[in-house]
Amino acid sequence: MKVSIDIHVNGERYQKEVEAQTTLLEFLRGTLHLTGTKEGCGLGDCGTCIVLLDGKPVNSCLVLAADAGGRKVTTIEGLAVDGKLHPVQQSFIDNSAFQCGFCTPAMILSAKALLDKRPEPTEQEIKQALGGVLCRCGSHQKILAAVQAAGKGEK
Amino acid sequence: MSQDASYIGKRVQRVDASVKVTGSAVYGVDVELPGMLYGAALRSPYAHASIIAIDTSAAIQSTGVRAVVTGKDFPCLFGDMVRDQPFLAIDRVRFVGDPVAAVAAETEAEALEALEKIRVQYEELPAVFDPREAMAEGAPLIHPDFETYLRTIPASMVPGTNICVTRKFSLGNVEQGFAEADEIFEDTFSAQALSHATMEPHAAVAQYTPLDGRYTVWSASDRPQRLHKELADALGLAHTQIRFIVPYVGGSFGGKNTLRAEAIAVALARFTHGRPVKVVFSREESITATQTRLAAHMKLTTGVKKDGLFTARRAEIVWDNGAYISNAPGVANRGVLTILGPYRIPNLDLVSRLVYTNNETTGSYRGFGTTQVTWACEGQMDIIAAKLGIDPLTIRLKNAYVEGDAYINGQIMRDVRVKETIEKAGAEIGLGTGGPGPSPTRRRGKGIATMLKSTATPTDSFCLVKVDVDGGVTVYSSSSEIGAGEKTIMAQIAADAVGVPLAAVSVPNPDTAITPYDHGVSSSRTTFHMGNCIQQAGRDVRGRLIQFAAGILKTDPARLRISAGNIIEAGTGPRMTLKELLAKKFNGKSGAVFGEGHFTPAGKPVLEAREGLKGISSIFWMFATHAAEVEVDTETGVVKVLKVAAAHDIGRAINPTGCEQQIEGSVVLGVSNTLFEEFKKERGRILNDGFSDYKLATMEDLPKIVSILVEADPDKEALAVAKGIGEPAAAATAPAIANAIYNAVGIRIKDLPITPDKVLAALKRQALDK
Repeated sequence: MKVSIDIHVNGERYQKEVEAQTTLLEFLRGTLHLTGTKEGCGLGDCGTCIVLLDGKPVNSCLVLAADAGGRKVTTIEGLAVDGKLHPVQQSFIDNSAFQCGFCTPAMILSAKALLDKRPEPTEQEIKQALGGVLCRCGSHQKILAAVQAAGKGEK
Repeated sequence: MSQDASYIGKRVQRVDASVKVTGSAVYGVDVELPGMLYGAALRSPYAHASIIAIDTSAAIQSTGVRAVVTGKDFPCLFGDMVRDQPFLAIDRVRFVGDPVAAVAAETEAEALEALEKIRVQYEELPAVFDPREAMAEGAPLIHPDFETYLRTIPASMVPGTNICVTRKFSLGNVEQGFAEADEIFEDTFSAQALSHATMEPHAAVAQYTPLDGRYTVWSASDRPQRLHKELADALGLAHTQIRFIVPYVGGSFGGKNTLRAEAIAVALARFTHGRPVKVVFSREESITATQTRLAAHMKLTTGVKKDGLFTARRAEIVWDNGAYISNAPGVANRGVLTILGPYRIPNLDLVSRLVYTNNETTGSYRGFGTTQVTWACEGQMDIIAAKLGIDPLTIRLKNAYVEGDAYINGQIMRDVRVKETIEKAGAEIGLGTGGPGPSPTRRRGKGIATMLKSTATPTDSFCLVKVDVDGGVTVYSSSSEIGAGEKTIMAQIAADAVGVPLAAVSVPNPDTAITPYDHGVSSSRTTFHMGNCIQQAGRDVRGRLIQFAAGILKTDPARLRISAGNIIEAGTGPRMTLKELLAKKFNGKSGAVFGEGHFTPAGKPVLEAREGLKGISSIFWMFATHAAEVEVDTETGVVKVLKVAAAHDIGRAINPTGCEQQIEGSVVLGVSNTLFEEFKKERGRILNDGFSDYKLATMEDLPKIVSILVEADPDKEALAVAKGIGEPAAAATAPAIANAIYNAVGIRIKDLPITPDKVLAALKRQALDK
């Protein structure tokens, strides 16, 4: 069964027909070709598919596209504005906070959501906020430094 | 010719930074092509069974299906070392997850739906999962036709068993060594199988063009050139009929170097009339049906004098190969030949047996055998130290290799700084200092472990370096960017070798139709081998450019150099820019100048060894010491790693930040492997096939990590002394943690992982013994 959705992704409005069971992840990657959002497990365990839904991080593999209708979705592709990187993206570069890069979009979006809410989070708050995203390269120490630096510099 | 070192040795920003923080990097799972179909595999529910019949008639009729393939339709075998593995099972399945049939359909959902309509009739066979049982005579034989397989390594089955590769090595006289010992220690250790758990699951797209019989494969692999050859050999195709295109790789750790998703996609693509087929493994498939670390059972018998000096060691290792041979024979050999650690042991008797079982195939895993043997070697080291009353630091320093010592094959080792790593890691953690812990039930302790590793030698790297009309430099290399910073290192070296700004260098991803042969991103070899290769090619092209410039400027080429994109004459200064030179050279039109590189350590005098043993010499030796501080909760058995000091004999850090990334990453991997990861199995089926119950370390488990880079004399040329860093950092963390636990609470866990239940059981035994 197809359903219509009307959704804002990265500031652009999309009106599409999707199968009712289509996840937000499938919609972003398959329909909109926004492949910066990654699928690491499809079960909500790894966090690599995290996007911001009305500013809050969600595992997009666990959200139906239809349920995101009428809401604002931010993916990694929507973070830089007019060719200028978001401060969190810049801080990830400055602190070498990535290796293979597969979890990086989810790490950056999770960090942005945290910093929007808590501009100067404690180390423990950062660890908790990013603990839901797995990183097998083990970039954690540099990610922690990147988020701390972004928090200090941003506001 | 003066050497520019504007970038080598500097903390330059990674060249893959912007594509990775903006989500625009294209990985294996992101590849999309016109007309692309989606493929999926039906997998065996049995660990060992004969296939009696497969009925695909209903699947072929299923909506959207374009091809259904079984092993009988595509009866080819692959395997780089032993060609024992079918693309799809032919008449027998050998592990739970063995692919039996595959479907290509218009959508992934349609492919999965069709799989359910395939009917397979199996006849279950007796299975064997423990290699110690599989090596016994009378065990069910997993590959009765082994002797018919083609092989490129010395492998032969011990008749009546599943032992497929045996390696023995002796040095001196072990019996005499034991006779001279004051104490003899005998301990058994085991290291578990592990999932590489790359965040990007295995994925591939394959396209077959029926008119010319060519295959193109998009594969996120760490060694595309060798997969290229493996596939050509398996299919009986010419080298030029295959092409591997490599996107960004979302982690490998040794887990993406054989045909996995590629095998399914290739088999399907043969039957889809030119349409490409994409296969993306589910997380369950990536965990259960790719390859794992080899589980190892290691028995160590070691003789020592009262003063702590070794007299002899006997080591017997039984390795679980799993169902098919990937590169496990290499792992087993490397492992057994380093189970002496970085220590002088005059008498050795080493035996390694690699055994087929009905488990998932095993193979390389970051460390290539050293993670398993270092666990045993360094665990026993502390047992010996405790019994003799010598502190862990002193006993290691006493036995450690020094500059000019001979490795077990007689190779004279150069650039040996193992003692410095032991001293520096020990000092940073404050070994032997610190309180017992914040409370009677939360006890703290510190431990240390050290290791050595060789790199595969000799291996080849080829590359091309191109300079375009605007002075832009392109590096054509088949070294994949698996996340370890390969592109950045290559760009740094090229920029210095040619004499241009780093921003002028680009390093495209590998494409085996364009980028020349390289042995692969493995064995911690890329910085040294591909680095030297690129330096050679960069200097080659620089030489040509200087010749052109000398002609145009009417001067002696020996007076010219290139720096930051400028042609500089000795005594005069900048004469023209590289761009101006090339505009003149090409008469204002376009063009390109190429430099070639080929590096191999073959024939280098430093590899000389005793007769017949040169094959285990290494062009460089890696040494590392990790020291850990842990807190053990004696009520829950939970171990928390507070700090790890990791000292690495790196020779020369081409990019110190990159070295730190490798070390920090390996420590987190080490913590995860040591405390959390193991497979729960039932009759060969992996029950914890997702991240909800195959737990990885997260941000919340992060210890404070201090990386210490131990380097060579700064006057030496960087690429003459640089060593690898990708693997050595993975081996020492586990035993350092175990030794710290012993230091904290006096218990010794010898079988990985160190789970809370094992800690509690050991504490209970300890209390009963008192």
